[in-house]
Amino acid sequence: MSPGALGAFLLVLVVVFVLGNLWFHLVESLLRGIKRLLLRDQEPQAWHPLPPEPEEKTDVDQK
Amino acid sequence: MGLFSKLFKGPEIDMEKSRANAKKMRLLFNQVVDNGDDYRLIFGYTEDVSRFNYGFVHGSKTKIGNLIVGWNEESQTIVVVPTVPDLSGCGDPTYYRRSEILKAYQNKYPTDAFIIYPDKKSYIGINAYDWLEDESLYVYVSQEEELAAFTEFFLNRFATK
Repeated sequence: MSPGALGAFLLVLVVVFVLGNLWFHLVESLLRGIKRLLLRDQEPQAWHPLPPEPEEKTDVDQK
Repeated sequence: MGLFSKLFKGPEIDMEKSRANAKKMRLLFNQVVDNGDDYRLIFGYTEDVSRFNYGFVHGSKTKIGNLIVGWNEESQTIVVVPTVPDLSGCGDPTYYRRSEILKAYQNKYPTDAFIIYPDKKSYIGINAYDWLEDESLYVYVSQEEELAAFTEFFLNRFATK
């Protein structure tokens, strides 16, 4: 196989990879949008943020 | 220590980070579970693998859900609290009391996950390891001793078969 043919073959692979990724993300975003539309009436799950850490008491004598 | 000996030694656990995360896990757990200090804790996760076929693109997706898993030997109860790898928050707890569940066992293949069926329709598979390096996916915590204690509890006091 000549270097030119090899380069063309690699280019085709790259194009297939990029198109495949674009297609995957396009379908995923459409599905996400549809899911959001269908589930918008549902209450969001409760979420509890991390509470601040209790400060440690230190006994320091001040003069 | 030479570069090669460091390379061959493999990844080292940052114990300071692990201890800080264990503390955060405790804070989160105690925030949502009554008498949280009565439970011992480990980190676990669920894996949800789904296949997709979008025409010429097909494959599989894996969703990982991080969990704080608490267990109380006396009441034979396991409490599962969903969280995120950076432990910035958590969801509501789910209680699995041995007297109320349908069945519980440790899987053998493809992973040795801890499986609990609360009823016929649903189940949870809890995966747990001593330590997982990938901080973007899992909580960074070293838990060899705690995992051994949880495994012992699950197999000898919680499992139904």
